[in-house]
Amino acid sequence: MTRSNTLSIALPALVVLALIIAPLGLDPFGYTLRILCLMLLFCAMGQAWNIVGGLANQISLGHAAYFGIGAYSSTILFGSLGVSPLIGVFVGMFLAAIFALVLSLPTLRLKGHYFALATLAAGEVARVVANSWTSLTGGPVGISVPYRPDAGFWALQFQTVLPNYYLFLGAMILVSLVFWLVQTSAFGYRLRAIKENETAAEVIGVNTYRVKLHASILSAVLTAMLGTLYAQFQFFFDPDTIFGVATISVKMALIVILGGAGRLYGPWVGAAVIIPLEEMANSYLGNSIAGLSQFAYGVLLIVVILLNPRGLISLFESLRDRLKGRQRA
Amino acid sequence: MTKDTSKSPFSLSRRQVLAAGAATALTMPFYARRGFAADTINVGVIQPLSGANAQFGINSRNGIQLVADEINAAGGIKSMGGAQINLIISDATSNPTQAATVAQRMMSQDGVCAVLGAFASSLTLAISEVTERRGVPLLTMSFSDQVTGRGFRNIFQVVSKASDLGSATITHTLDLARKAGDEITKIAIMYEDTAYGTSQAGGLRAAAEANGIEVVMDEAYPLGITDVSPLINQLRRTEAQAVFPVSYLNDSLLIIRNMRQQGINLPTIGGAAGYIIPDFRNGLGELADDVLSISPAAYDQAPEFTERFRERFGYFMVHEAQEHAACMGVLASALEKAGNADPRQLRDVIASETFDEGWATVMSGGKIKFDETGLNIHAVPMMVQWRGDELVTVAPAEYAKADAVWHSL
Repeated sequence: MTRSNTLSIALPALVVLALIIAPLGLDPFGYTLRILCLMLLFCAMGQAWNIVGGLANQISLGHAAYFGIGAYSSTILFGSLGVSPLIGVFVGMFLAAIFALVLSLPTLRLKGHYFALATLAAGEVARVVANSWTSLTGGPVGISVPYRPDAGFWALQFQTVLPNYYLFLGAMILVSLVFWLVQTSAFGYRLRAIKENETAAEVIGVNTYRVKLHASILSAVLTAMLGTLYAQFQFFFDPDTIFGVATISVKMALIVILGGAGRLYGPWVGAAVIIPLEEMANSYLGNSIAGLSQFAYGVLLIVVILLNPRGLISLFESLRDRLKGRQRA
Repeated sequence: MTKDTSKSPFSLSRRQVLAAGAATALTMPFYARRGFAADTINVGVIQPLSGANAQFGINSRNGIQLVADEINAAGGIKSMGGAQINLIISDATSNPTQAATVAQRMMSQDGVCAVLGAFASSLTLAISEVTERRGVPLLTMSFSDQVTGRGFRNIFQVVSKASDLGSATITHTLDLARKAGDEITKIAIMYEDTAYGTSQAGGLRAAAEANGIEVVMDEAYPLGITDVSPLINQLRRTEAQAVFPVSYLNDSLLIIRNMRQQGINLPTIGGAAGYIIPDFRNGLGELADDVLSISPAAYDQAPEFTERFRERFGYFMVHEAQEHAACMGVLASALEKAGNADPRQLRDVIASETFDEGWATVMSGGKIKFDETGLNIHAVPMMVQWRGDELVTVAPAEYAKADAVWHSL
């Protein structure tokens, strides 16, 4: 094993260890813990998006649809039938797979911008349906997960945020593991072949349609699972938030692109930067001129992307390369 | 609004807020030991200060600020040794996730004793999930039926529920028409397809059905509509005797102007929001005259209080400011009665007492008492009508300050 390989395993292991220990010193109800939770959740969401968007460069802007399906499935089942979210999560994952299948039939033949636009529209369709189908979703007013403080783990809700934190951490590691398995498998190589040149991939015998379809479904299923976890953390959501373009779809893509698309640790870096940045902008500027916080957040993002179009993770790599170069010299 | 928000005397800097927060944190242990010390009490205020609802959020903040400043100027909370109210104000944006995060931040970092907010129901519902688990009282004027419909112990709503507002809109309209000799059997509803518009329209629809009224037009239109003439043409072809538009400001201006230009003088009953703010009159001039609207509170019911808002901010006390001021009034009385700022004790005081002093009296009914769901049992929806630059209460009869102008067909 080379030195750089040791580093790329040891560093993330250290990060995970730090994440496991981190909340022990924090207020279990607290604000810092909540920010860490959101960071882990969005990191996992970015990682799920990374399977299609990063590896195969299929820029989807409609992943909120899967996220919302996951959130609504478990919440409606729990609210109206009393089905535990532990079961509801699988219903949501199944429905998201079906939706991904149906959506993929027409959209996967599209290329580049056309694919992005079609998925964007699909997310919006989901939002409109959730807004209009009031008898099922509660409509535009939103839906609450019924509060059962004593039901414990079966209801997947807790008095403090701490259990949520470890759930999110587990989910983040799980999704990252899935991504790593895909990335290093033959399947992952086919996806990357599509990213490099779809026609060439076709010529050398890759069934590009089928590969993209499988990746889309896998990504959708993982996103839906995270949707359920989000619902059990936030306890209230409305169609405009859960199917939001800016709040979910674009944010998932942004985290990956900012961190490093197609890279295992891309979403880790992306989420670790974006979520605290957004929160700090609101915390420090939210009380001054209206909208200044979002403006500052936007400007910072533009600056980061301009400085590092290949993603922040490339910064680490160039740093590492420089260190290595020095050792050789 | 007629006055720009930059003129608002609210000008605490971040540093001052931090300093006050730090001071509070530092003095906390001493305060606990000494019992009576002139101290500060942190109160969380979460409002949409940016985005689509910013104007309403700023109005709400102004209302709360006015009350807090008055209390502080009069010597603070007396039972706590003259403790001053320190508002921790934060932007909820228009994202419920953000609103909940802000609430969490206030509770764990600023140790707020209660939270006031957050105008839009979706924001309030998201905040309530956090405050309920932490046992911190949340006082609100959001009126979606869900707010008090979930069996929460720590949420208190000073205004009527959306469904009650919907039925009041219909019954008051029928009464006003009857007085003028009209019997209404057919109405038209048009609403923007947002959370607000759709839920208000739902309330109207249910109330119309309950009263045996036929809804001859029931049209949703997208937010930010630029041409309303197809809607108005459709309205012209119906036999509606009254029209109920529900929207924020811009579409309300378009709808009224287009109707009047086409010579349609149907009685128009707006669904609060855009129909009862000064900008409605500023944008329409005389065309605004005689437009009716439902309102959860009316400033002409308590002029001795609400005129102080006009003096300071330069426009009449819009209903969201008035209701949030009532929330602050209730909290101040509760602090006075509890004698300390422990959220759980405050919650018990708010849940059990009747509030009939100070700013708590500005709500319709003159006092506030919450039932076991947290709903104010004394709240009565008001029907208001534009007269020049002012809104006048015209229904229900015992609260009316003037007779309604009703244009019979």
